[in-house]
Amino acid sequence: MSTPTTTNWAQALVQQRSSPAPAAWLDNLRQQAESRLDRLPLPRRKLEAWRYSRIDALFKEKFTPVVQAPDGASLQRPESNSPHVLVFVNGWFSPSLSSLEQLPDGITLKSLAQTLNDEDEQLRQHLGSIADKDENLFTALNTALINDGLFLHIATGIHLDEPIEVFYLNTASEEALLVQPRNLLVLEEQAEATLVEHFLGGKGNDYFHNNITEILLLGKAKLNHYRIQDESSNAWHLSNIFLRQGEQSHYHGITLSFGGKWARTDYRTSFSGAEADCNLRGLYVAGDDQLGDFHLDIHHNWPACNSREQFKGLLYGKGRAVFDGRILVDRIAQLTDAQLTNDNLMLTRNAEVDTKPQLEIYADDVKCSHGTTVGQLDPQHIFYLRSRGIEETMATHMLCQGFAQEIIDHIHLDSLREQTLQRLQHTLKKLQE
Amino acid sequence: MSAKQETVEDLVKAGYEYGFVSEVKSDTLPPGLNEDTIRFISGKKNEPGWMLDYRLKAFEYWKQMKEPDWAHLRYDPIDFQDISYFSAPKKAGEGPQSLDEVDPELLATYEKLGIPLEEQKALAGVAVDAVFDSVSVATTFRKQLADAGVIFCSISEAVHDYPELIQKYLGSVVPHTDNFFAALNAAVFSDGTFVYIPEGVRCPMELSTYFRINEAKTGQFERTLIVAEKDSQVSYLEGCTAPMRDENQLHAAVVELIAMEDAKIKYSTVQNWYPGDENGVGGIYNFVTKRGDCRGDRAHISWTQVETGSAITWKYPSCILQGDDAVGEFYSVAVTRGYQQADTGTKMYHIGKNTRSTIVSKGISAAHGQNAYRGLVRMGTKAENARNHTQCDSLLIGDQCGAHTFPYIEVRNPTAKVEHEATTSKISEDQLFYCRQRGLKEEDAVSMIVNGFCKEVFNELPMEFAVEARKLLNVTLEGAVG
Amino acid sequence: MLSIKNLHVNVDGKEILKGLNLEIGKGEVHAIMGPNGSGKSTLSYVLSGRDGYEVTQGEVIFEGRNLLEMAPEERAWAGIFLAMQYPVELPGINNMSFLRESLNAIRKARGEEELDAVAFMKLIREKAASVKLDDKLLKRSVNAGFSGGEKKRNEILQMALLEPRLAILDETDSGLDIDALRIVSEGVNLLRNPEHAIIMITHYQRLLDYIQPDFVHVLADGRIIRSGGKDLALELEDKGYGWVLEENAA
Repeated sequence: MSTPTTTNWAQALVQQRSSPAPAAWLDNLRQQAESRLDRLPLPRRKLEAWRYSRIDALFKEKFTPVVQAPDGASLQRPESNSPHVLVFVNGWFSPSLSSLEQLPDGITLKSLAQTLNDEDEQLRQHLGSIADKDENLFTALNTALINDGLFLHIATGIHLDEPIEVFYLNTASEEALLVQPRNLLVLEEQAEATLVEHFLGGKGNDYFHNNITEILLLGKAKLNHYRIQDESSNAWHLSNIFLRQGEQSHYHGITLSFGGKWARTDYRTSFSGAEADCNLRGLYVAGDDQLGDFHLDIHHNWPACNSREQFKGLLYGKGRAVFDGRILVDRIAQLTDAQLTNDNLMLTRNAEVDTKPQLEIYADDVKCSHGTTVGQLDPQHIFYLRSRGIEETMATHMLCQGFAQEIIDHIHLDSLREQTLQRLQHTLKKLQE
Repeated sequence: MSAKQETVEDLVKAGYEYGFVSEVKSDTLPPGLNEDTIRFISGKKNEPGWMLDYRLKAFEYWKQMKEPDWAHLRYDPIDFQDISYFSAPKKAGEGPQSLDEVDPELLATYEKLGIPLEEQKALAGVAVDAVFDSVSVATTFRKQLADAGVIFCSISEAVHDYPELIQKYLGSVVPHTDNFFAALNAAVFSDGTFVYIPEGVRCPMELSTYFRINEAKTGQFERTLIVAEKDSQVSYLEGCTAPMRDENQLHAAVVELIAMEDAKIKYSTVQNWYPGDENGVGGIYNFVTKRGDCRGDRAHISWTQVETGSAITWKYPSCILQGDDAVGEFYSVAVTRGYQQADTGTKMYHIGKNTRSTIVSKGISAAHGQNAYRGLVRMGTKAENARNHTQCDSLLIGDQCGAHTFPYIEVRNPTAKVEHEATTSKISEDQLFYCRQRGLKEEDAVSMIVNGFCKEVFNELPMEFAVEARKLLNVTLEGAVG
Repeated sequence: MLSIKNLHVNVDGKEILKGLNLEIGKGEVHAIMGPNGSGKSTLSYVLSGRDGYEVTQGEVIFEGRNLLEMAPEERAWAGIFLAMQYPVELPGINNMSFLRESLNAIRKARGEEELDAVAFMKLIREKAASVKLDDKLLKRSVNAGFSGGEKKRNEILQMALLEPRLAILDETDSGLDIDALRIVSEGVNLLRNPEHAIIMITHYQRLLDYIQPDFVHVLADGRIIRSGGKDLALELEDKGYGWVLEENAA
């Protein structure tokens, strides 16, 4: 049921779209999404997918879409070891902050806005085609206002060895900004790449970062995808990742969620071939009235695919966690192997956890399971450490880190793993004060 | 010995005088539901004004409500105006006259379950002069129960005989505003059972509707209320393990349990109503609201259910754990085959300190059956050191069925601990081959494996019930494999 | 070194230790034997400061300090080490970093300098070799997925590393095969010197073939009912606990 508020809220934002799109097909895509806005329900508690997310306050805020590239001159270039660095400021590509070394033939790595001018056939073919599944108000809103984002295309058999590092910087502004990068990654057969994304915002900046990433992996393609969300403490952050995997493709994704006052990540995976592997992991650390929220929808619609979903949360202060993970196995998807776990540690009195792991299974020859725990640190573990001379606060610190380590260990980039550990320790230290 | 026989004979005579044959001529209301229907039902039962007011209030509320659609169930919409809401017991002339007129399939099942002939007649709705065993047993029980101070009667009787208890407790756990089907039940409930166990009394026997076959026919909108006072104990068995012939399409029962300090209520159900034919035509829609309230410290409520019948099952026997150290348990086996659908599970509301709950759910899906576990575990802010452990296992037999798990876990207290596990498996070719190589028939091998899968739940059933439940499961799954 | 006087301890409201007395001097090795449920493990937990053990009477003095007033880590700093019967698994915590954290905490408390990574690595490799613990286990999470024998050897490695003043071995021999038992015993014997003391809690005589005790005590029903030299253990092996219990009752 659509209420006037839905229409008004979303339409008001869309009306602020500046010029028509540079290409007719894109204009068409935008218009269609806009016309769907009225029909999509306002995400509220009554909708199962929004049951625990408590998003009502978002609709009371007034946001301003960023309709042209901001001037990034005053900003500092982020530190990176990667030869391929792309920086987006408030959702727009910043050439001056980015540095792109020569890429091997067969790899396109550009901003979406640039690519639009080049009339790229791949882009036209795939943009919006993977995200059409389970569209909600926010995905339609992103599509209706598509401007810029990341475009990566890797041709058959090409491996990009160095990681691509992307920074989304959200700057201070007088108005609360609506920032909506739109990314498309296409890896052709046997292509391989590693992508690292950082979502960053200055302290206290108020904005809504509503990003969408569409990923298409063809046969035997392989993508390592790391996402580090460390938005401003006043920010709303919503990530929608749409993933379609071809035969024997391999996706290895980790999202680390530290920042934002309200941060939600949705993964939707489906397959277009058998024997693919999908590994999703996540760590969320939430305190100080923060929300860390993960939604997974893993649709096993081809036989013999594997998926592993492992998510862990550390909650402190008035931190809240929501986890909603669904594994759906179609009748045709025999020999599916899908295992989902979600573990939550509540470190303080006022923390809250709502978790909902689901299995929906229509095939019989499958191995599917889920496991969930919610609790505090095991007093036996604390005692063991103390009996070895380690003080209680340190013992707590070590156990929390050990809890998170099981996710962090899956980061295959040494510098990123180290960086993540430091980020975690920073929070854990704060906790002990 | 002779005294007992006299009683039976008296009863047989009494049956002739006041039994099914006599009384009203035609008491079946035409289909339709409005205020008059409710006044008619209440009038027929000669109810006091407060009871009618309660029904009318519920009806007013129900009219504003929407039928729930969140369950993992597909069925044609129910036309609530196309149902008859009052039907007195059938006259002998209307039902089947003898077992020859009863569906042979049903009789074959009775044979397999080893049910005596007289009982077969009663179950199939054949008019019988007297069911000797049951009646005599029931009578003996009544005396023993009265001596212990236990009240065990129909809810209609209780409205007249114990109005203060009914007014105090009816609707206090499941209010008429609770959900669509509970509101409907509150408006039109036909009859049901009332049990009251006084303080410190341990009910001297298992109470069962089995011995009150007449009550089982009270039909669509049963209402059960069990109150266990401080330090008392009762075990109640609902339903019977033989498939009941039942013509009612829609069932919407409400069961309320209240356990005071140190009281323990064990509620076991075996539900085996008509599941529809192999094409999914017909069958009972079973929309039940069951909830227990642990009002005192150390109160203990345990639900055990074996659900093998009905086309649609929608039920979530729940526990409100208010008292400190209160315990809630839910043990369930649900079988769906043919085109049966079940959406069942439990809700555990942890409110008091050190409250504990255990959930063991075993779902078996065969043929085109769809089986969903749906459960909620909520740890409130004051539920210090509360614990829950949930185990949901699904067994799939064949590649046309479905098994689903939808747990909701809400934790508001860091000292609480929740553990949830769910698995899905099938009977493997290896297991079957192994058993057959050792000389077991395939069917026996399947039943052995399935029984093993359900063992944890069957262990919770009273002994005799467990044996029958096992037999029933075997009969239900016959031909499911191969 | 350690003086336990009239120790009474309740667990969940039930009295488990009922007036236990024990004196342990420097350089001594004491074996505490006794039937199941006699309170052996309770004693080890009370000495190391685990929660849930309520001391209702008595005192425990360790090198002049009231042990019962100290937090578990303070006791560890003072030199008390408990090798647990069932060492806990700590998934995600690297064994090496754990050992380093522990060693440095204790060194710091002793006023010694903390070891840097290089010095620590050298030391730990040496110690691991002495208890024949595979280097690979050092890189894994603490005890996670270790076999029973590996867990026990990891405990002995920690002991070798931390060099406690008083080591309490709670049924360290249980579940070990002969080879593992020999390795563990060698580790314990290395610690033996005039400055250190050891309490071995065990059910069987077997361990005492490898580690010769100076004193043997029989713990039954929350009290030490008999003490003697190592011959007592042999006698127990021969006649079972029955005769001590009977004699005591008589």
